[in-house]
Amino acid sequence: SSLIRSISGSVTSHVLQIVSALEAVVLRSFGPNGGQVLFTKDTGEAIVTRSGTRILTALRLKHPLARMVVDCVWKHSRATGDGSKNFILLLASLLRMFQTALQTTTAWRLAYELREFGMMKLDEIICLGVLPYGFCAKLENDPLDTHYLCVKKLLTPFFQTRLGQTHCDMISHLTCEFLMRSRVANNHPSSGLHFVYTNFPALHTTVSGVPVTCSRLIEGQVIHSDFAVHFPQTDKQPVKAVVFTQHVQPKLLGEGDILTVGFEDQAFKKKSIVEFTAWSEKSLQLVFASLQSFGVSVLLSAVKQSAAFLALAAQAEMCVVECVSEDELSLFARLSRTAPVLDCCAIEAVNVATLTFCCPLTLGVQRYECVVVTQFYGNVTTYNWSFFHYDCVLCLLFIYLFMYLLKLNFLFSFHRYVHVAFPHSEQDVVVNLSSLVICGSGKEQTDQYASAFQDSIRMLLTTYEPRGTTTLSDERTCLLTDEKTESASSSAPDLQQHVLDSCCVVPAGGAFEILLSRALLQHGDKYPVSRLLSDALLSVSRHICTQTSGRFSPAQAKVLTQCDGFSSKAVMSGSSLESVSCKHILLQSVLWCATSLLRVDKILYTHVVLNTDSQKSAGDSWDDTG
Amino acid sequence: MALNGGDEDFEWEPPTEAELKVIQAQRERQDKISKLMGNYLLKGYKMLGDCCDVCGTILLQDRQQKNYCVSCQELDSDIDKDNPALNAQAALSQARERQLAAQSPATSLEAELNSGSSGGGGGLTNVTVPQPRPEHCEGAAAGGRASLLPPPVPPPPTSPAAPVVMAPARPTVCPQPATLAPVLQEAEDAILTKLRWATTQLQSSASLEASIQLCSLISSCANSLRSLKELGQ
Repeated sequence: SSLIRSISGSVTSHVLQIVSALEAVVLRSFGPNGGQVLFTKDTGEAIVTRSGTRILTALRLKHPLARMVVDCVWKHSRATGDGSKNFILLLASLLRMFQTALQTTTAWRLAYELREFGMMKLDEIICLGVLPYGFCAKLENDPLDTHYLCVKKLLTPFFQTRLGQTHCDMISHLTCEFLMRSRVANNHPSSGLHFVYTNFPALHTTVSGVPVTCSRLIEGQVIHSDFAVHFPQTDKQPVKAVVFTQHVQPKLLGEGDILTVGFEDQAFKKKSIVEFTAWSEKSLQLVFASLQSFGVSVLLSAVKQSAAFLALAAQAEMCVVECVSEDELSLFARLSRTAPVLDCCAIEAVNVATLTFCCPLTLGVQRYECVVVTQFYGNVTTYNWSFFHYDCVLCLLFIYLFMYLLKLNFLFSFHRYVHVAFPHSEQDVVVNLSSLVICGSGKEQTDQYASAFQDSIRMLLTTYEPRGTTTLSDERTCLLTDEKTESASSSAPDLQQHVLDSCCVVPAGGAFEILLSRALLQHGDKYPVSRLLSDALLSVSRHICTQTSGRFSPAQAKVLTQCDGFSSKAVMSGSSLESVSCKHILLQSVLWCATSLLRVDKILYTHVVLNTDSQKSAGDSWDDTG
Repeated sequence: MALNGGDEDFEWEPPTEAELKVIQAQRERQDKISKLMGNYLLKGYKMLGDCCDVCGTILLQDRQQKNYCVSCQELDSDIDKDNPALNAQAALSQARERQLAAQSPATSLEAELNSGSSGGGGGLTNVTVPQPRPEHCEGAAAGGRASLLPPPVPPPPTSPAAPVVMAPARPTVCPQPATLAPVLQEAEDAILTKLRWATTQLQSSASLEASIQLCSLISSCANSLRSLKELGQ
């Protein structure tokens, strides 16, 4: 039997309680001076993070509204790369303002007014009240150094809040260099951002156990697999490579299959398995003959090839790299302007890629261990167990000490990869491709740095090309639009388009919130919701200013609000910038989430009593959720 | 809140000052609850989908599957310490406050007389009553707060040659038995009522946590009664 019960008490009060609790969680790590949260997994692994999304998704939340809010934050963060903590702060402030209003109106009424305001008036207010005070950062208008400066000023506050003050300058500079080198030739400058974001998993390599200051750029592409067969290049000729996506020598027989060798024809009746295998190898030899005719010396494979294939490759002195990921192979194909081999028997010129070099790449801490040993033992250059033959007891003690240290160092293992580079030509897809090597003290820390890099690119993409991000907000607009507002909403997308296409940036640190708050107050008489939103934004700017300057400064607000005739030079002279598009999308997301929360009337739980005699079916009990 | 100015049913008026104070107090309490809940979430507590039957706050659950209500078990205990029915110190504080409130009209009258008589050049010694400091006086006892002690009368400037007029008998903090007895009796009755209630609850309680709390309440009541008896002697 199933029982349905409803949670007693007001849903709205629960919503505020939940969002306030989440606000208390993220407030500790908010801003450049915010702290980090240490999470310990059940496996004992520790994660230290400042990322709002990471913190919120790691909390143990069983309440459906809490899960809904965290889900909204996660989706917003995935779409824009930034703003998860701001999301919660703004949502909490907004719901607090609503508490007063809910004494005289219903939640549904308030949700309706909020939705109407968000769809009809907000974009216009941003256009008139915020955009004039910003700086237009369209890429095609700017020379390269201005563009670099703008990107660096956008990245600095992002990395400050995500990774802390210590390394943010270094990481911002590295990211800028990475993006500058990844411009796509003969295309819109922002297409480089698309290219990098889409191919980021293949364009970066993580190395654990090394300080983050060792992160750097290297030329070309790093393939995250090792050579199965390797022959070092002796000459400086361009290297030819071919990509196989399937088994060259297909596995004809599986378990339980029966192979009948020979035909009813008398001539073949006496054929045996030996002839069959010889025939199979002969076809493989023909493939290699074809490869040798093209001068191919490197074979990249998406799958693990057979032993016969590897043997023939070694015989032909060809390098083989197996189990290359699909992302890396597609990037390789795109950069080399070639196509993978479809039919092994018909290899063509279009399948042969030309590389500047293809060599092994070792990333890790192996070199560090050798230096320690050599310094102490003089002529010893390799680590071997003959140390135990020394007579000196003191030496033995030091041996044990260093062995212990070295044993610890072995935990930070090194990895061998394949490093390829492509020759420059006018037809290059990317002007000067580089790959990013991201270092970190531990695996989790390194992964965090990598996700911060990726989110920063996502943030820049939202700044310069926000249309791709608005697919999410467009879906929400479709969900919220009803028959009454269809005719009236025809002008809303135009204004939204203008806000998003403007590529406007404003000084970071609360300027957007203060400017918009002032603009919203001017509409407070006509739209009471506008006043509530204005108060909520001011509350958030108070949090921001408290983090940056230690106390809320009305003087700072006054300076910002008296910026009529603000020049773009004044905006650009500041040390950090933030994107109006990102803030606009954040605002729309928060309004949508608040509207959805206000429209929840009742939460029903279903409990299914398990019958010990019958089998448990999937998803029939809520007892184990969370 | 008016919908585009056209709907008169939902005209919004700003809250009065009194309502604002209540709202502010509620917000502060909610802020405390939220902060505590945030701390517990970061410690690994789970936010459940249920809420407390007593106060409606969302319940948390620790790793040992024990439910925890932040409001009832942390915040309300701060207020309970001021409740004389639950706390001996609060009962004593309330008793002292009432006794001092009863004596304060006499004290202020004497102070006024002294001020009048020394107008010719006399001086007064400080007639400030040494105020007993209640240990837990925030939040006010349930029995009402007596008007506070009179402010200390500053000694007027005196000429060196003027004779010093000694103040009459300094009001003493030692309570008179006649005024104290009814107060003590009242406190004792309140405590006995609470003791009886706690005993009844304990007999029917099935929860371990509730039983522990009731036992601590009973021991507090016993201590309070002992203190009251000592005070009465």
